[in-house]
Amino acid sequence: MSDLSGPSGGMETEQFEFRGRAGEWFGIWIVNILLTIITIGIYSAWAKVRTKKYFYNHTFVAGRNFDYHATGKQILIGRILFIVGYLVFFFLMSILPFLAIVLIPLLFFLIPWLIVKSMMFNARVSSFSNVRFNFTGGVGRAFVVMFLMPIGAYILIGVLGGFAAYMGAEQGSFAVAGLLGGVALVAMFMAVPIIDRAIRQFSVNNHWLGTAGFTLDITLKPFTRALLFAVAWVFGAVIFGALISGLVFSANPFAFDGMFQGNEPTGAELGLIAIAYVFFFIAFLPAAFIYQAMIRNAVFNNTVLEGGHEFRSTVSAGKLLWIALSNALIVAITLGFGLPWAQVRMQKYMASQTFLLPGESLDNFVGRQIDEGMSVADAFTDLEGIDVGLPL
Amino acid sequence: MAARDPYARFGLSVSGHAYAPNSSRQAAARLVTRAPVQGEGSGPDDVIVDLINSEGVVLSGAPLSEITVDPPIGSVARRLHFPDNVLFETEDRAGIATLTGATFGEALSHYEAWHPRLIAVCLVAAFAAFAIWRWGLDLVVTAAIALTPPVFIEQLDKGTMQTIDFTMRAKETQLDETEQQRVTKIFSDLLAALPADDVNDHDFELLFRDMPRVGPNAFALPGGTVVMTDQFVKEFPSDDTLAGVLGHEIGHVVEQHGLRRTYRSLGLYFIIGFIAGDTGPILEEILLEGNLILSLSFSREQESEADEFGVNLTNKAGYEAAGLKMFFDNMAKRGIEPPEWLSTHPNSKERVEQIDRYIEALP
Repeated sequence: MSDLSGPSGGMETEQFEFRGRAGEWFGIWIVNILLTIITIGIYSAWAKVRTKKYFYNHTFVAGRNFDYHATGKQILIGRILFIVGYLVFFFLMSILPFLAIVLIPLLFFLIPWLIVKSMMFNARVSSFSNVRFNFTGGVGRAFVVMFLMPIGAYILIGVLGGFAAYMGAEQGSFAVAGLLGGVALVAMFMAVPIIDRAIRQFSVNNHWLGTAGFTLDITLKPFTRALLFAVAWVFGAVIFGALISGLVFSANPFAFDGMFQGNEPTGAELGLIAIAYVFFFIAFLPAAFIYQAMIRNAVFNNTVLEGGHEFRSTVSAGKLLWIALSNALIVAITLGFGLPWAQVRMQKYMASQTFLLPGESLDNFVGRQIDEGMSVADAFTDLEGIDVGLPL
Repeated sequence: MAARDPYARFGLSVSGHAYAPNSSRQAAARLVTRAPVQGEGSGPDDVIVDLINSEGVVLSGAPLSEITVDPPIGSVARRLHFPDNVLFETEDRAGIATLTGATFGEALSHYEAWHPRLIAVCLVAAFAAFAIWRWGLDLVVTAAIALTPPVFIEQLDKGTMQTIDFTMRAKETQLDETEQQRVTKIFSDLLAALPADDVNDHDFELLFRDMPRVGPNAFALPGGTVVMTDQFVKEFPSDDTLAGVLGHEIGHVVEQHGLRRTYRSLGLYFIIGFIAGDTGPILEEILLEGNLILSLSFSREQESEADEFGVNLTNKAGYEAAGLKMFFDNMAKRGIEPPEWLSTHPNSKERVEQIDRYIEALP
């Protein structure tokens, strides 16, 4: 557990709480689905609003809750406009494939623009204690942190790695190759934290609750630490996995023979495929959850909201992994009908591990009336599953 | 729902708390209602709503017709937005329901409540989801195809040919004139055996391409362009085999398989993206992969349909219907195929057996 004592004496630490109930949410969810199906998708816009409202209104801290204000009509118009735009793009590309030279680079600017507009829309239709959020991030900065920095890092690491391979294989100078390879590895270990921190800071530092700004002041250390833990887990699992599959191979050295010959796969082949899947579950999935949990905690613990309000997050990777995996299993066993229960369970856990340390009275936030902006961008992030909502 | 006393709306007292406009300042407040006097509100059916704090000071007030009441959702607090942006929030859901009377939102919330009737809702939803997936999507796709202008489909063929020539390094055909004429003759024989409507609806054209990377293959585009590789003509020179494969491709065109597949996958992309969005990380993967595997089975179905079409057309045009079989026999002997459930095409062995059945069914 991290330190939960407040920044200044006097104010109580407030725990977030999700008060939704699985049975109640189930009824809303299944009616959403039914109405969406019988209106061939049109109701999905209202279903989204109802879902958001249910989860926001039931999330409480210090006796106050969140709210979602977009209307079904707004969301529907956004989705229709987006589908029309998408189809025009799709058919234009099919008819005149050489337009790709112009259209594809355009996407590199269009995507960050849509993400920023969507973050803005989502912030502005969300409120806490009757005060609306806002997002003021610029498209230029989004383009830098989402595209330029990752692409630059890829090129740098690729060039270093390629040069190392050349020196080793062609020139035979293994010392230089090893050195360059090491530099490439270090570059990778520096690039990932730098880029991830830039993205998180871009998001947090441009969010506002009314006129009060959020600030994420954080060193690279927690990002590097999270990456090291995640990579260490994968390496451990790889060594473990190699030992296991080594045993299988020595038991049946011809396991891969006959694979993809159009014949029914044999038991040994199926066993290997199963091991690949198990490997994914024991190596990469836990590593992803380790990283996710550590970063969430670090970001919350270092975020300050104007007025001296601080946050704490105490999510544990193991618990998160357990909930996610058992949720998936239960949803699969119940043919999807267990989903509402799984969602409520996850939400309850996340809220219970989140704390607010008020710096002053929560009565002091003041909002502004701002135009909500475009719901088209919201349709894009919905479709692509990009998370732009409040990180609750 | 029991009938409500129309006068219950007047003289209500609901406790909760109020927020000042654009402020997080929370204050305990009571909502009280009364009947409108002459000229107040939108008429005698309206209700005058006032917000009073614990000291009896009026914080805000308006006729109900000017207040935005958020619809009820489960057990969340009810919210009323006054015209001057004062917000009132209360846990007294029954009180607000009495105030608004029977609304659409109330009815919706009633049907969403945890109740055995939800079992029926589940069954209807599951059936409706299946019906959309199995038939609904096909209906929408058929409508979309009917709405697609033919000029556009022709353009689609041209665009696709440009993409194929560019990405698959297709070169001009190396086949000599007589060889090309022989295959084109088979193609026109097949078209002649087709009903006139089907011929007029499409812009049939046979193209040859030298595609060493692709090998012996043929494919059809939605507008009626059929492409055959030089490698195919060289490896399978028999008239009957060529007729069988061309008949199969004509089948794809006539039954509009290409457009169907494109529209279907576009539709599913939007449906999964918008409707099944909030499924969580692992589930979304399962849904997407599952859809991929199911769409492969859809594609295999189309291949079998085209095989059957090809066998019938070849026979009608006076060629040996077993020609198509020779091609798949050969493919089966080469034996480099992925497991069937992972493939867009049925296994060659399976197809040979199916073709035998189609031939037996020939008149």
